[in-house]
Amino acid sequence: MNFDQRIFCGSLNTDHTGQHVLLAGWVDALRDHGEILFIHLRDRTGIVQVVFDPGKTSPQVYDTAAALRNEHCIRVTGTVIVREPGTENPHLDTGKIEVAADGLDILSSAVPLPFPISEKSMMAGTNEAGATDSVNEELRLQYRFLDLRRPSMQEKLFKRHQIMKCIRQFLEDHGFYEVETPMLTRSTPEGARDYLVPSRHYPGHFYALPQSPQLFKQLLMVAGFERYYQIVRCFRDEDLRPNRQPEFTQLDLEAAFIDEEFIYTLFEDLVKKIFAVGEIQLSTPFPRMTWQDAMETTGTDRPDLRFGMTFVDATDLFTNTGYAIFKQIVDRGGCIKGINVTGQSDKLSKNVLQNEYAKQIVPGFGARGMTWMRVIDGRLESNIVQFFNETEQQQIMDRFNTRDGDVLMIIADASRHTVCSALGQLRLHVAHRLNLIPEKIYKPVWVTDFPLFETGADGLTSCHHPFTMPSATDFDPDNEEQCLALTSRSYDLVMNGEELGGGSIRINDRTLQNKIFQALGLSPQEVRDKFGFFLKGLSFGTPPHGGIALGMDRVVSLILGTASIREVIAFPKNRRAFCPLTGAPSDVADTQLAELGLGAGGPDQSVPGAAPEADLMETLSWVSRIRVSENEQAAVCRAVTDAQTMARAMESHVGNLQDRDPVYAVFSRTGGTREGTRPQQHPLAENRDLLKNAPEVSGGYFKVASILE
Amino acid sequence: MDSSVFSFTPLPADFDAADALRIAVQPGMSCRGWPAGAGTTALENFTALEDAFVIQQLKQTGMVIAGATRMSELGLGLTRDTGALAVTDGRADAALIIDYLGEARAAGAKARIFGFKPSWGSVSRQGLTGLVPSMECWGITGRRILDIQQVMTAICAPDDHDFSMHPGPLPDFTESHQFQDRAPVIGVADGYDASLTPEEIRAWKSGLAALETAGCRITRISLPDAALFSLAHHIIASVEASSSAGRYDGVRYGHRTSASDNWNEMYLKTRGESFGTLIKSFLFQGAYFQFQQYATFEQACRLRGLLMDQTLATLSELDGLAGLTITDKADPVAAQTIDHTYQAFGFTLPASLTGLPAVQIPGLACHGSKDFGLHITGKPFKDPDLLALARFLENMGNTGGTP
Repeated sequence: MNFDQRIFCGSLNTDHTGQHVLLAGWVDALRDHGEILFIHLRDRTGIVQVVFDPGKTSPQVYDTAAALRNEHCIRVTGTVIVREPGTENPHLDTGKIEVAADGLDILSSAVPLPFPISEKSMMAGTNEAGATDSVNEELRLQYRFLDLRRPSMQEKLFKRHQIMKCIRQFLEDHGFYEVETPMLTRSTPEGARDYLVPSRHYPGHFYALPQSPQLFKQLLMVAGFERYYQIVRCFRDEDLRPNRQPEFTQLDLEAAFIDEEFIYTLFEDLVKKIFAVGEIQLSTPFPRMTWQDAMETTGTDRPDLRFGMTFVDATDLFTNTGYAIFKQIVDRGGCIKGINVTGQSDKLSKNVLQNEYAKQIVPGFGARGMTWMRVIDGRLESNIVQFFNETEQQQIMDRFNTRDGDVLMIIADASRHTVCSALGQLRLHVAHRLNLIPEKIYKPVWVTDFPLFETGADGLTSCHHPFTMPSATDFDPDNEEQCLALTSRSYDLVMNGEELGGGSIRINDRTLQNKIFQALGLSPQEVRDKFGFFLKGLSFGTPPHGGIALGMDRVVSLILGTASIREVIAFPKNRRAFCPLTGAPSDVADTQLAELGLGAGGPDQSVPGAAPEADLMETLSWVSRIRVSENEQAAVCRAVTDAQTMARAMESHVGNLQDRDPVYAVFSRTGGTREGTRPQQHPLAENRDLLKNAPEVSGGYFKVASILE
Repeated sequence: MDSSVFSFTPLPADFDAADALRIAVQPGMSCRGWPAGAGTTALENFTALEDAFVIQQLKQTGMVIAGATRMSELGLGLTRDTGALAVTDGRADAALIIDYLGEARAAGAKARIFGFKPSWGSVSRQGLTGLVPSMECWGITGRRILDIQQVMTAICAPDDHDFSMHPGPLPDFTESHQFQDRAPVIGVADGYDASLTPEEIRAWKSGLAALETAGCRITRISLPDAALFSLAHHIIASVEASSSAGRYDGVRYGHRTSASDNWNEMYLKTRGESFGTLIKSFLFQGAYFQFQQYATFEQACRLRGLLMDQTLATLSELDGLAGLTITDKADPVAAQTIDHTYQAFGFTLPASLTGLPAVQIPGLACHGSKDFGLHITGKPFKDPDLLALARFLENMGNTGGTP
């Protein structure tokens, strides 16, 4: 069959009127209009209406058309004609014309669909279809090849392609080489769990899939490439989160003989360009904020700057206050900070502030409580305002720059960390609750100068990774306090409260690198075992270098405004790291395990149904909403195996039971209605006694964890 | 005060109940203001807000609720149960034990006292923390049938808060039921002894001999599918358990995990921490049938109908259907897995599946020092007749249960 003459559906317009065309694609929708049959023919460029008129097409073609079903793959020939006035379809780019068919081949038929694919209504005046948003995501993922036929999904992946192309072009223009690094490698210290790949040639030994090409890209700098990038898949076996994938795509970049400013400028230009693909204009340079400032003013290292309400420190106002709680906190070296929720006093009533925020919500954020003040008629109003004298009240209003209608929410605690953390969560909570976050606004910010170390369970750990250049090099690695005071030459790119990427200037000096390992408490032997190959590289004239990595799934999702990153990945795993399409991860044959020297069994001991697949156990755990701990796993597994045996035993008794009805109780009773009583609330509900046994109660209701996503 | 017998009791150890019957309950039976954790973390710190209907009835007739015993998780099996011990230690005259598979009867057999399970639907389940709605009953253990009769007289009464109760008239325990005029007819299933171990056969023979000595007429009956009781019970009970345990979500009562990021995590972790391995295994089996293999569950329900029909047909000519209460294949107080639990209760679970009344009689079916218990299943809602039969056998003076 010759497709040379094929024209894309989406390219047709009134200029083609009268032309004879060959089209090919899928039946998006069908409409039987009395005698005349209409179909929407869809290919990757768009949709065009094709008409089969029994008066004009041959009976053979018409009969074939009558047999068409949704998503049959077909080839059509016909003549482009202008639609009758009043029958144009404004939902289609090709809505002014249609194709009067004279030839039709069904290239491949489709069985009935698990969910509708069509997104375009055939009728003018009706709403666009697109009901697929309500289709269960598991089903969409299971039939991803059909889901991806939807124009909206194709558009997302096309945009993703354009973004990637834009990156490659941009980096090409800036002298970067794309170099591939291995997928089968040694585990690198990125902090998450590795996906391991067993080696057949070295039984009991494993490759690790890379969590990032960190060490390889640094070695490429040692090797003298100077500017490297890679759009690379990375793997992390982390705890399940709704918007996280076990494998993800990262733009990974490294350059030599550069400093932070190079990265900032380069990346700002690049990010600006890729956001422009989604018609989002960003202005450069991006603002910068030290980690310290971010924590002090927003309580997080991922500040959301789409709205104000940054923290105001008021500790110094209360050194001599009559309000005992503040006084004590100040005396203990504590901290008092607050936010000004401007002009929202109508929405934040005393009741909401006191009973919800002060008593419930803020304690949930880890602070003891919250002080609130409303500004009414130029004066502060609060349940504790009487404890502050006139001067203090005026100072508070000045410090928070208040106007009538403002609400101050203040947290005081002996721990500065507690104040910042709780106030940061409160800031977001209030912003979401009062809808203070403007939509379609993008606020990038560089967060810089992270601490180099943090305190972990066993001494110091690196905040980024151990190859990050410290801001000062003359520290004593055995002096923990001194180490904790160090900042690093690192930077995160944050947008709208999400971390899009991050990087740092790296250590290029072997001696300094050793000092870092010493501070981390790694013995020379451990260092050799873990990083020997890399340190060897560092010893051969390593140029100063640094780099950055950008999480592409998240970036594309943000640019396209999708609800989850799965929408911009062709074949994602579901939120439980399972692929409904392929059924991965799956069990493997015992012979495969034996070859790899894995598994206690071996081919001889395999019994069909000997152990329920991990998949089944996972499903049962999910439907039962019961997590099984590792030490119970074997027992519960055995019980499920027993159940499988019982199901088989039951099957053998099908014969003599066929004609019977299932019996669900030893006698049946219907119509259980108590007579003579009126509908009423149960006394235990009325007097709230029902709440007495609840683990958590809030304002007369049972309190539960929030539903994420 | 607490003791090894009671997890909770308001009474001093030397409490004098005078003439009143002292009833021990399980902490899965609601007594207003008492801890009612039902032996499970899922209900930790749960305090009953009101008296169960049965408890109200007992109190109204002047009986004393002596204390809450210890119990297995949600009352499944007997691994931690001290109900029968409360009776043999003299701390109670009767102990109520929830009966899914025969727990009360097996507890009676282990302690060499009487055990009784009423007809399903004759006693209100309101206030009973259960797991298997279509089978669970208030079982009773006691030293004397008379005490069990008294308890049944008090608790077998209509309660319009339990819609699952039998709609027709309930058994009347106040009428006189006695076996003085005629010999009781006791059925024995063909091939029953073929499934027994040598020890069990000896005990069974001594039980049959005792019945004959007492003047009973033994008659052979046919229960062709008796081997399938356990399979049907297991499938159905696990599905019902998996469903009804859904209420233990850590929202309205019971244990809640200390840390959870979101709703799903809260459920998974809360319930993961709430149940022990035995219950978890049972719930997973139920979930398997319910979500993966529903046809098996429906098939088991058809089988249940078949087994009920067969049992009722044989009972029409009998006063009771006899067997042993406990087995030596598995010990009901030591069974740690679901599989062992079902083995241990193999003789008692048919009455649970069919909802029939059943009584355990000590001292008749013994071999050497071991008492396997004589188990007699009665006709539906003829509980008073069955207890009268047990009384008849008790009065033969051979039961050893009377002090």
